[in-house]
Order: sequence, then structure tokens, then C-alpha cells
Amino acid sequence: MTHSKTLIALAVSLGGLLAAPAFAQTAAAPVANTAAPVAPAGLYQALGEKPGITRLVDDFVNRVVKDPRIGSHFKDTKPAALKESLTDQFCQLSGGPCKYEGADMKSAHADMDINKGHFNALVEVLQSAMDAQGIPFAQQNRLLALLAPMHRDVITKH
Amino acid sequence: MKSPLSIAVLAGVALACSAAQADTGKLLLTGGVSTIAGSAGGGLTPWAVIGSNATEGEVGVSAYATRAATQDYSLNGYGVALGLHDRLELSLARQDFDASPAIALNGIAPFGVTPGQHIKMDVLGIKLKVAGDAVLNSDSWMPQIAVGLEHKQVHPGSIRSVLDFLGTKTSGTDVYVSATKLLLAQSVLVNGTLRYTNANQNGLLGFGSAAPGKNGRSLQPEFSVAYLINKNLAVGAEYRFKPNNLQALGAAAGLGAALREDDWKDIFVAWAPSKNVSLTLAYVDLGRIVPGITNNRRQTGYYLSAQVAF
Repeated sequence: MTHSKTLIALAVSLGGLLAAPAFAQTAAAPVANTAAPVAPAGLYQALGEKPGITRLVDDFVNRVVKDPRIGSHFKDTKPAALKESLTDQFCQLSGGPCKYEGADMKSAHADMDINKGHFNALVEVLQSAMDAQGIPFAQQNRLLALLAPMHRDVITKH
Repeated sequence: MKSPLSIAVLAGVALACSAAQADTGKLLLTGGVSTIAGSAGGGLTPWAVIGSNATEGEVGVSAYATRAATQDYSLNGYGVALGLHDRLELSLARQDFDASPAIALNGIAPFGVTPGQHIKMDVLGIKLKVAGDAVLNSDSWMPQIAVGLEHKQVHPGSIRSVLDFLGTKTSGTDVYVSATKLLLAQSVLVNGTLRYTNANQNGLLGFGSAAPGKNGRSLQPEFSVAYLINKNLAVGAEYRFKPNNLQALGAAAGLGAALREDDWKDIFVAWAPSKNVSLTLAYVDLGRIVPGITNNRRQTGYYLSAQVAF
């Protein structure tokens, strides 16, 4: 009994150790090789397509610039341009017929002194904006899962 | 022993509160809740997450109180945890276990167990995040990984004579490694922990056993899975394997399976109405706990825990 348990434990942990890097490679490879990962089916529709995303981003940016934690990061940013660029980005990521042509995430945030607390605050503001649009929580997380890995380029201050 | 601990807890809270920044920035529920041993995780098993609301560059603190009750036993617990830069966690916990059924042990031998005896246990925990990010690396399968240590000291009162008879020690140290991953697109969190331990019933019945019981440590896996219903609400389940060190000793003494120890499991709901408060309610199945004095009953019941975090 004890031996079988220990074996199960070892098998699980070894399986995890072996599988994790392998999965990481296969999962990360498409992201690294092409500009955008494969969009999850139905997400663009769940976000209300282009009109829904436009409303979401409009509200999101309005909330961001007013947020006491992160608003000051956007004082030199033109809200209208940011909205247009984010709408294209969310639209493309979620599988819509748009093309994001803005700066890559790394150069866009290079001088902004963003730490992980700021990044998490941005996520929270986006969650509030998605709540306000009535986007279901499970769909919110599918969009967040596409955006969250950008922390590697956005967070410049550790 | 009691007052130095209380002073240490108070000093820790005071220090942590003054050090904790007013505006800490972890995402809701991503610091886990407080386990019965004080470290951050699920209810029964630690996760690789670092407790408190503090993320990188921040210092945070959490405190909790827990009550669990089953057919024959109950447990009260409270403690604090300090989270440093989402990297290192220090925790201190006190458990108070109502072991009243132990009075029946006087019928086996003149142990001198007093009525209504409680077993108390202090747990000092340290956890270090060594790799990964459980939440944000949603394009990879790489989990967040942490290593931890739980040093436990038992104060058995009049039950000490029983623990001496069983050959168990009153202090012990568990070491563990945890891997936690939030599958964000699926709203599912999974955790696996591998613990190296010789604790009996988490340490409340001491550590190790006289021969032919098992005295040394063994590897015990623990699993948690949680589904996020919304930002504030998660439901899940846990399974924690246990070593059953004492049963062979009991059998050799002609007591059959009287000292048997079973795996622990629970299903839980965790609710965080705000970033600073969470409540966890669980149905626990702790299996048999010294079944020889509890009519071989499985110990099932509720677990309720409240946590504040900054």
C-alpha cells in the first residue's frame, strides 16, 4: 500500500517534470514564431464582435486613465489613439477580422516603469470593464489568458 | 511556551502591519487561503503561491482563524503569514485540538489522561518560490514551484504519556515541494504537493512511531483542484495522502486497527468579497482518527476559515 502510494507520487511528480517543459515548448512555439496565437473559438463573438470590443475598450481606457494606481502612466498617451490601437489588438487576438498595427508590447512599454502591481491593477480594471459589458467570467478569462503572457514585455521594473 | 508564542505572534503582526504597504497588488484569490498549518494554499494542503496580497516589490501580511469539527473531535486554529515580494513566505500557526475521546485510553492502560484534554500544536512555516508564475504565464504549462518547510511542536498535556508509550516525538519537520498552475483560459487551478513527513495526523499525534510502526519520513502526495466561478468565488476539492505510521504498532499490541490513520479529503467553496477578506467553507472527510476510541467512525464534518490579507 505504502509502496504503491510512493510510486504513484513519484510517477505523478516525474510525469509533471517531464511533461511540463515539453508542453511548454509546444505551447510556446507558435507564439514565438508567429505574431498572434491561435484565437480560441467563439471568443470574438462572446466579446460582441467589433462593436462590443469597441465599447469595452472605450470604457476600459476611460477607467484606466482615471485609476489612481496606474492613471499617471497614461498622462502622455492620447486616449483616442490608445482606444483605436487596443480595439484592433483585442479584435485580432480574439479571432476577429482586424489587424493590430501598433508598436510591439516591449517597445510600447519600455519607458513606463511598470511593475507587477501596476500590471495586476490593469488586469483588475479590465475585469471591471468586462463586467460592465456583461461579458461572462469564463469568457473574460479566455481573453485574459491571451493578454497575461504580455507581462514579460510590459513589466519593466522588477 | 504559550506566552512566548503569543508575544511572537503579536510582534509578527505588528511588524508586518507596519511593513505592509497600504496598496498591495495581487489579483483576487491568487494568494490562496490559509491552510490549517498557516501557509498559503487550500485548506488542507499548501500551494506554491506566496501568502498575503503583496506582489513583487511589496510586503504583505495575512491572518486567519479556522474551526473544524467532526463526529468526535474539533480543531480551532489561528495564525499569521508574512509575504515578502511574492517570493518568500513566513507563517506561524497555533492549533488547538479537542481530544476528549482520549479519556477512553485510560481503559487500556493507566495513562492518566485527564477529561477534556486538548492537544496544542505550533507550526512555524517557511516557503520559497523557486520558479514560474502560477497566474500570468497562461501560454505555457510551466507551473509556479515552491519549496517549503513546516516545523511543528506539539503540546500534548496529559496525553504525553500516550505519545511516549507509542514512541512518537513531540516535534517534527515536514518538507515539501508544491507546483501550482492557474489554467486561466479554463478558469481552473490545479496544485500538486509532495510532502516528506513522519507526522501522525498532521503532527497532532506526534511524529514517527516505536517499532513495528513506521518511524521514518515518507513521501506523501497532496492534490487540489479549484474552479473559479467568478472573481470572488471558487469551488474545489483536495486529497491529501497520509502515512499511517502507527497502525502496525497498534496491531502488534493486540489493538487491531485501533491506531489506523486515513487520507484526508475535502470539498470547499472560497469566497472573497473584497481583496482583504476571504471565507472558506468545506466539508471534510478526515477518515478514522484513533478509531479504537471512536467506535471506528469516519470523522466527517465542516471546516470554516476566515482570513484577512493586506
